[in-house]
Amino acid sequence: MLSSFGAYHIDMASTADDAMAKCKYDYYDVVLCDFNLGSGKNGQQILEELRVTKRLKHTHLFVMLTAETSKDVVLGAREYQPDAYIAKPVTRTVLEQRLGQLLTQQKLLKPINKEIDLENYSKAISLCSQMIENNTRYKSWCLQTLARLYTLVGDNANAEKVYKEVLKSREVPWAKLGMGQVLNLEQQYHDAKICFRDVIDANPNMVEAYDGLTESCLNLGQKKEAQSVLSEAVALSPRMVLRQEKLGNVCLENHDIEGAANAFRHAVNYGENSVHEQAAHYLNLGRCLSDLSQGKKTDEGKQLAREAISVLDKAGHKFSNDEDASIAALLIEARVYQGQNQLEQAEDTLHKAECLIEESEMSSSVGLELAKTLYSMGQDERAQALLVDLSTRFHADKDTQASIEALMDEPEDLQTRMQAKELNKTAIQQVDAGDLTAAIEAFKAALELTPRHAALNMNFIQVLVKDYKNTQKATNIEMAAEAMKRISHIPEHHHQHKRLKHFQKVIANLDTNQAI
Amino acid sequence: MKTEDEQPDFSLIIASAVHDMKNSLGMLLHSVDNLCEELPEETRAQLNTSTILYEAERVNSFLVQLLGLYRLQNHKLTLSIDEHFLSDLLDEHKAQYQEVFDHRNITLEIDTDPSLAWYFDRELILGVVNNALNNASRYTREKIILSAYEAEGELVIEVHDDGEGYPDAMLEADPGDIKKNINFKTGSTSLGLYFASKVAGLHKESQRSGRIAIANGGKLGGGVFSVYLP
Repeated sequence: MLSSFGAYHIDMASTADDAMAKCKYDYYDVVLCDFNLGSGKNGQQILEELRVTKRLKHTHLFVMLTAETSKDVVLGAREYQPDAYIAKPVTRTVLEQRLGQLLTQQKLLKPINKEIDLENYSKAISLCSQMIENNTRYKSWCLQTLARLYTLVGDNANAEKVYKEVLKSREVPWAKLGMGQVLNLEQQYHDAKICFRDVIDANPNMVEAYDGLTESCLNLGQKKEAQSVLSEAVALSPRMVLRQEKLGNVCLENHDIEGAANAFRHAVNYGENSVHEQAAHYLNLGRCLSDLSQGKKTDEGKQLAREAISVLDKAGHKFSNDEDASIAALLIEARVYQGQNQLEQAEDTLHKAECLIEESEMSSSVGLELAKTLYSMGQDERAQALLVDLSTRFHADKDTQASIEALMDEPEDLQTRMQAKELNKTAIQQVDAGDLTAAIEAFKAALELTPRHAALNMNFIQVLVKDYKNTQKATNIEMAAEAMKRISHIPEHHHQHKRLKHFQKVIANLDTNQAI
Repeated sequence: MKTEDEQPDFSLIIASAVHDMKNSLGMLLHSVDNLCEELPEETRAQLNTSTILYEAERVNSFLVQLLGLYRLQNHKLTLSIDEHFLSDLLDEHKAQYQEVFDHRNITLEIDTDPSLAWYFDRELILGVVNNALNNASRYTREKIILSAYEAEGELVIEVHDDGEGYPDAMLEADPGDIKKNINFKTGSTSLGLYFASKVAGLHKESQRSGRIAIANGGKLGGGVFSVYLP
């Protein structure tokens, strides 16, 4: 059919792998691709990989030609911006017509696209401006490209100018979207939010607007809202692996483990055959499922644990070349067994992991994973020693340091941690209200839950000392000394270390006073 | 015991059946198209293959409309607004109907400025015009004009034919009132008009909404179908 349109040098690929291989070694002027390609990659994943690996030039055309009309497929494919999405059935005359239109446009815009491919952005900008002045048929395309190019070279002011000019005459969706993106870049997140909300109201299918809105929310620290916006975007276009990953991470920050599990589950499923498939998605899903199944003997708990084991096994096989990932998979798996009280399997799996670990050289991520597993299996001393060691080795790495402190403070599960946090908050409120006795009780309850928490222990000590000054109760000194003992392990690089030193002195002074 | 809530949602059943039918029809159409390619020109004329394709297309556009109506009812019909050239759109219609119009000795004339572009949902408006063209082709004698132009800040797409024109009852009816317009005796459901008016109405810009109109007279003295988009 294509040769009758005047095309020469036509290659056909019957499988996705074949198509990818052909695109790797040859550049085609036009790629016609169905969404549904049998096993292996689908059309969206082909386009995705061609875009990510820059195998598709701006001067070339990618046309998705498919009978798939379900929303998730159409929106998913559109996100990687094929030059056209043609729904089957299509007759040859119509196809010829569409391809003809696309090729005519492509030919006219070739000088600009060529410069973009060569990354000569300033040249591309001047060509765009010229074409706009000449008032050609493709003025709108040129304006859109011009604004994007300005953003690309960091000239936000000029990009904004283009968008404003376009928006003067009409609420053009791409211009409004671009406006929001520029506002985000300019860190005007409140205005950006309003802009994106407008876009979404008028064009609920414009998924990019949800992404922009998410960025604004995250930058404003509105993590809950970011999660709900991302959830909407994911419901519209679930096939985008990176967005699922982002949602998973935001859920984790919001302590919504179930939501995170769901998002990572989708990232794993839709990631199959995708260029964005990552071990981290499997491991994160495994971690979430491990947390969710922890200590649950119900059918639901068992089911979650089974899923965790199967995901982690799969990760171990799939990423066998990635040593850290394989080790992490085993360590998480050990926790899952432990949580289901299958102690022997837990020991076995931990042992398997330990055989792969070179202690003096292990990465911080493996170290933290190992410590977490050791805590969960009741080997607290080993875990603590390991963390102290890691803290020295990675003292310059802030993120690792923070993770070490968090784990050392509270190796307990999320629910316990949340309860302790609430009690801590209540206690502080009671201190502010002047009710020290009630505060002491609240701190005690919190410490039942997370006894190793550095800041919590020190808050407790502070109140005990304050109360002692009024009441002279000897029990206060005893309790403070116990608290000190509980946190004596915190390493020098811990951000509460200075405070600890201070309290050691204070308590020593109280002791001497008492002796007198 | 079954309560009323457990009754299956009939519109959902129909919608999924329509979806299946559309997919099958797509396969069928594809095969027929391939088959026709293989045939020598003479045989194609003899077999009147253009009519096969035309009728299959017609059924396809009906099914698309039904699905659209289902989505509309469930508030799931959302627009993907982008800028499109009218000449591209109308040329595509021409390409699609060329063969069958040739066969029936109908000439189709396109009348638009090649640089005229507008913002709308391509697939939906394509469907609306397709339906109007389909309708016109059934009632026209020998000529249809497809025109697009800008007037008072709105885009106007018109389909003119040289047939008898719309009957008075249709001219007086409100295309949005589907219940009154269905007439099983004449087989006219005005479904196409209903869908068209809904689709046009979804297009909104600064407090203006799109609409449709039908009239008699026009450039060819027959029926005129018009879509106005803000």
